[in-house]
Amino acid sequence: MAGVSTKEIKTRIRSMESTKQITKAMEMVAASKLRHAQAQIAYSRPYFRMIYGVIQDIAETNTKQHLPYLEPTKNAKHRTAYVVIAGDRGLAGGYNSNVLKLCYGEMQGRDCAVLPIGKKALDFFTARGVERMSESYAEAEDVSVSDCFTMARMLCKAFRAGEYDEVRIGYSNFVSVLSQTPATMKLLPLEPESRDGDPKPADILYEPTSTEVFENIIPEYIGGVIYGALCESRASEQAARRSAMDTATQNAEEMIADLSLKYNQARQAAITQEITEIVAGT
Amino acid sequence: MKSFPLKIVTPDGPQFEGEATELIVRTISGDMGIMAGHINCVTSLGMGRAVVVTEEGKREAACIGGILSVLNGEVNLVPTTFEWADQIDLRRAEAAEQRARKLLEDKRLSAVELRLADARLKRALVRKSVASSMLSH
Repeated sequence: MAGVSTKEIKTRIRSMESTKQITKAMEMVAASKLRHAQAQIAYSRPYFRMIYGVIQDIAETNTKQHLPYLEPTKNAKHRTAYVVIAGDRGLAGGYNSNVLKLCYGEMQGRDCAVLPIGKKALDFFTARGVERMSESYAEAEDVSVSDCFTMARMLCKAFRAGEYDEVRIGYSNFVSVLSQTPATMKLLPLEPESRDGDPKPADILYEPTSTEVFENIIPEYIGGVIYGALCESRASEQAARRSAMDTATQNAEEMIADLSLKYNQARQAAITQEITEIVAGT
Repeated sequence: MKSFPLKIVTPDGPQFEGEATELIVRTISGDMGIMAGHINCVTSLGMGRAVVVTEEGKREAACIGGILSVLNGEVNLVPTTFEWADQIDLRRAEAAEQRARKLLEDKRLSAVELRLADARLKRALVRKSVASSMLSH
């Protein structure tokens, strides 16, 4: 008999086919979730840009006053707080590992605490023994706008209390359906992007007082940025899963074609052998 | 009347973009009116009614939390929630008010829960007052 038996090949084809069905279904689910996430991004991006722009303008035009959040609190611990956004489930290509690796790499040599969002982020940092601030955001899909604002208030309070001298966020940027890049961003202390060049001289009236305004708007700003990053990450996750599952489906199809060929060859070989045996009269 | 460029953007998408002649919002220190030529100004928003006056007329909305910035004549309103009066579901706001009131009667609430329920009640009251004042017009 020629190599592998036809029965064995048939079983393998069948198992490949059921795998293909699963990956195909997952791809379609991810594609539909992706559409939803993309719509959400289209809404949240203008907000994200606007709130970022407004805060940057204020930070840039403010040259005289010492306002809270523009620099670490005096005698603050030399410690960084990281907000890390990953997914809840695997099978999304490099989505989870890319962002987690980037953040973990940055954390090396620093005293850090993380605020993980998503089950994968929580598991990753638990396994590596990094201090977690909270474990209540293990479901990235369920985190709402108000959760983002709660987190922001918590982070701002800790920053003001001098527990951290820096707050950063790690997330995935949704560039396109085919490309998602992990990134980290500094949330606190606030630093205007362009320190070089003359600061734009502009007097701003803060109502009622600059300190009071900053105390109120910075937590709002941080919450807005966390929400924006979360929307980007969610869309990235679905896009990454969709393309990973698309590749898996294609691979399964290739293997099925290959196995079908082998199956037919084996079947043909068996028939030929049978005929030869009959003709030879053995 | 002179107008100024106004943008209202929330996490749920842009709500308004265009020329306005007057804007009234509730800030943390009380109501504030903005007209064209206002000085550069930044303030934090409280919970309350917002009024946008344009050439076409006056629109009211429930506007809660966020930032108002006036910089070089451009006015940016970045609230956490912003609902035009005609989009508010009055019955839902009333139901939310009842729920929040019931919650607040519970004496076993923790400080955080109490704060959340209180905030919910205030939000519901703002929505209700904005929506019902529109009906009476």
